[in-house]
Amino acid sequence: MIKPRVRLPSTASKGEVIEIKTLISHPMETGYRRDAQGHMIPHHIIHTFTCTYNGEQVFRADWHPAVAANPYLAFYTVATESGRLRFEWIDDTGTVYATEADITVV
Amino acid sequence: MRTDTPTINRRSFIIGTAAVSGGLALGLRIPLGGEVAHAQDSAPEVTAWVVIRPDDTVVVRIARSEMGQGTLTGLAQMVAEELECDWAKVTTEYPTPGESVKRKRVWGDFSTGGSRGIRTSHDYVRKGGATARTMLIQAAADAWGVPASECKAANSVITHQPSGRTVTYGKVASAAAKLTPPADVVLKDPQDWKLIGKPLKRLDTINKLTGAQVYGADLKLPGMLNATIKDCPVFGGKVKSFETTKVQGMPGVRHVLQVGDSAVAVVADTWWQAKTALDALPVVWDEGPNAMVSSATIAELLQTGLGADQAFVANQNGDVKTAMAGATKQVDAVYAYPFLNHAPMEPMNATARYTAERCEVWTPTQNGEAAFAATMEASGLPADKCEVYKIHIGGGFGRRGAAHDYVTQAVLIAKQIPGTPVKLLWSREEDMTHGRYHPVTQCRLVGAFDASNNLTGLHMRISGQSILSAVRPEALQQGRDPLVFQGLNPSGEFALGYSVPNLLIDHAMRNTHVPPGFWRGVNINQNAIYLECFIDELAHAAGQDALEFRRKLMSKHPKHLAVLNAVAERAGWGTPAPQGVYRGLAQMMSFNSYVAACAEISVIDGNKVKVHRIVGATDPGYAVNPAQIERQIAGSFVYGLSALFMQECTVKDGRIVQENFHTFDSMRIAQMPKVESIIMPSGGFWGGIGEPTICVAAPAVLNAFFNATGRRIRSFPLKHHGIQLV
Amino acid sequence: MEPCTSDDVVRLNRRAMLQRLGTTGVLVALWPARAWTMSEAVQQAMHQRIGTRTPQPHGMTLRLPPLAETGNSVPLTVAVDSAMTPDDHVLRIHVFVEGNPEPVAATYHLGRRAGKAVISTQMRLARSQTVLALAEMHDGSVRSVTADIVVTLGACVEES
Repeated sequence: MIKPRVRLPSTASKGEVIEIKTLISHPMETGYRRDAQGHMIPHHIIHTFTCTYNGEQVFRADWHPAVAANPYLAFYTVATESGRLRFEWIDDTGTVYATEADITVV
Repeated sequence: MRTDTPTINRRSFIIGTAAVSGGLALGLRIPLGGEVAHAQDSAPEVTAWVVIRPDDTVVVRIARSEMGQGTLTGLAQMVAEELECDWAKVTTEYPTPGESVKRKRVWGDFSTGGSRGIRTSHDYVRKGGATARTMLIQAAADAWGVPASECKAANSVITHQPSGRTVTYGKVASAAAKLTPPADVVLKDPQDWKLIGKPLKRLDTINKLTGAQVYGADLKLPGMLNATIKDCPVFGGKVKSFETTKVQGMPGVRHVLQVGDSAVAVVADTWWQAKTALDALPVVWDEGPNAMVSSATIAELLQTGLGADQAFVANQNGDVKTAMAGATKQVDAVYAYPFLNHAPMEPMNATARYTAERCEVWTPTQNGEAAFAATMEASGLPADKCEVYKIHIGGGFGRRGAAHDYVTQAVLIAKQIPGTPVKLLWSREEDMTHGRYHPVTQCRLVGAFDASNNLTGLHMRISGQSILSAVRPEALQQGRDPLVFQGLNPSGEFALGYSVPNLLIDHAMRNTHVPPGFWRGVNINQNAIYLECFIDELAHAAGQDALEFRRKLMSKHPKHLAVLNAVAERAGWGTPAPQGVYRGLAQMMSFNSYVAACAEISVIDGNKVKVHRIVGATDPGYAVNPAQIERQIAGSFVYGLSALFMQECTVKDGRIVQENFHTFDSMRIAQMPKVESIIMPSGGFWGGIGEPTICVAAPAVLNAFFNATGRRIRSFPLKHHGIQLV
Repeated sequence: MEPCTSDDVVRLNRRAMLQRLGTTGVLVALWPARAWTMSEAVQQAMHQRIGTRTPQPHGMTLRLPPLAETGNSVPLTVAVDSAMTPDDHVLRIHVFVEGNPEPVAATYHLGRRAGKAVISTQMRLARSQTVLALAEMHDGSVRSVTADIVVTLGACVEES
């Protein structure tokens, strides 16, 4: 159910600035909503998103309940060398959702 | 007063004249720097609210939506009052939400609901008129080289009093438009009103009578295709599959499309071709988790709330438990009120044209900005590439204010056929089964008496659906839905009119999968029946007259009492009624207005009800157009009594059962009672007109019915008890 | 402009804010021609992040649609005008949402490898409000930008 997706070019020239688009399905439950009987639905959100590039963190986002459900996030990074980008989403149950993508930099 | 017939510019799809109560919006040229804004026909805009043509015609901009409630005329009256123009030359137009956004929301709130159209805009629209008048006078004074203070305006003519020189508005409008508006204007004292408070004829009646009025369902644009749609019959379900090949060869069929994840549409040359094909289209639905829900399961759910421990409290004082425990006598009753549909005469519709560069929508809507937001979201285009043209509404009643599902659908269809305008018009069946329903509730009321028959305690427990939980959860107050308690609150615009020594009014929330919405009156419809019928039950148990019993509880509620006394006196309460005629009373405060009704009925054969007369009174603070108020009172009684006698929406297999007017009927003109209106504005506050009176007709009739037959009916509609309106 | 919504956002008037900040310069620099005053919650959250530094309203854009129906999912793009070189780059971007129960929406950590300081995302904006974004630059300076949004469903709700 909680499935992340990323989109970025598979190849780039060295020094090129590339756009990375990410999407994950997650309720991002604010903790302020109520169920059918009016009882509070517990807080359940992704609080951290990171992008590491060959092991070095190049981007991080700290999220609060104002981030919409099924969060979409697009950002940029510099294509420095070939390798692997790893994307991680961590929610408040401690669960880590991750996906990876390889890039060839010429 | 003439109204122009709209013409359509083929190239730009913008309606080309100052279309009036045709309600078709004009494109406007936006001022850059010091340039003056002009309407499509180049008449200058003195302020954003007032355009004046050379022939002295005054075009008043109206941001709210006319839906029969008379707001268009009422707002124009208020602008014209301060403008001091010739009322015979006043016409109106709707600015578009796109233009308003570009001009930093110069026309303010577009939403028309909650009986707010006049009471939340009266101040700034009057100022808009006063500002324009000030500028026109200044322009004339400047041209004459005299002080503005020596000039006076009346009937679109400015007079320099010392010399007697005159000039008409049309001649100085351009010059006035170039002036800097005054920072502040003084509004007239209500005593000096000449237009406000007068029963002026409405500006939109003639077109409606002659058939010239264009509604969304009538719209024809060049190259337009027609579409109709089916959303999953069970709320919350989705489309699984559909077989396009089975219908694509049918006459006129152009496209068979999925719309969102829960609907299927057919686009054809004519609407009938689209409907015929859609009816023949095999569709497999994934009905989702709600396919087992029925009215019976919903009633069981509601019953669990009647005695539940946990409930949201709105109004309490004293200690109801102790009062009940110490009571000499208790009265206990359970009432139930069904789902209702708005069922406007014009089914949901919107016309859209999409390209990657522009998305335009023509639609009836109670909130132009909400329709605009829906257009942006569905098209994915930014504000400067979108526009919505408000079309005159063929019945709103609250269905066309909050939800713009039909706009979203029309845009999603148009996006799949870029460049082609498409009119999406729902069938009646789709409109009946995909509404935003008056929420379903039950209510348990318990009253306690002491040995002297004084009411010592009252507990009113409502169990049922919350509108805000579904529509706007952000507005819940720690989970509590404040709208549930309309007419029952300790203070405010929806305040209870009774003082009881030990009182508890609370709500056990029980939500269903049926999407709720704002049906005219919202929650006062059932709250007035619950409360006012039960108050009669209490009076009867105490052996007291229904009016006297109420009066004893209302000494701290003078305005509630005043309207109640007014209807009682006019109806002759306390004096013998004609043979076979029985009376019933009800009162409630809502949307900041105080209303009451006294109904006079006869009952034939124990079950055929003839409502002879209803006397209705309202104190809305100020009355802008008394003739219009009378019509709203009578019209609200039609809506409320039709619901009482004939209407409900039931649920089977997760679906709404009632698909057309044969199972969701409405009263006929021969059944209509004589309505006498008492309009008694006490001044000092602004209350609504569109909704408040709707709630008092039903309990007044029900109380009269008890007086006639001894039968107390507590569940609705009355047709289920074999009772009919004749 | 929502005459009907109750507003429980605590607003500091200009005087109270000046006293709090202990300087007369801040308000003028932040919001030269605007009538907007920052809510107390946003102000506290801002100070927790940037201390006593004064944000300057330049070099940043914040794109939001002017209207949203429910505000459940509002596209937002924040961009900082920066070459993102070792000598000129953005460290962090903060987004504040005064009309939401919690005043901070997100913080984005960029740095020299970001290439472009442009973030696109979707926010949940419960009610009409002014959204504020701040950018912390590598040299310690702070930039700011605001954008307004009207949530049309707010107008439909009658408060009792």
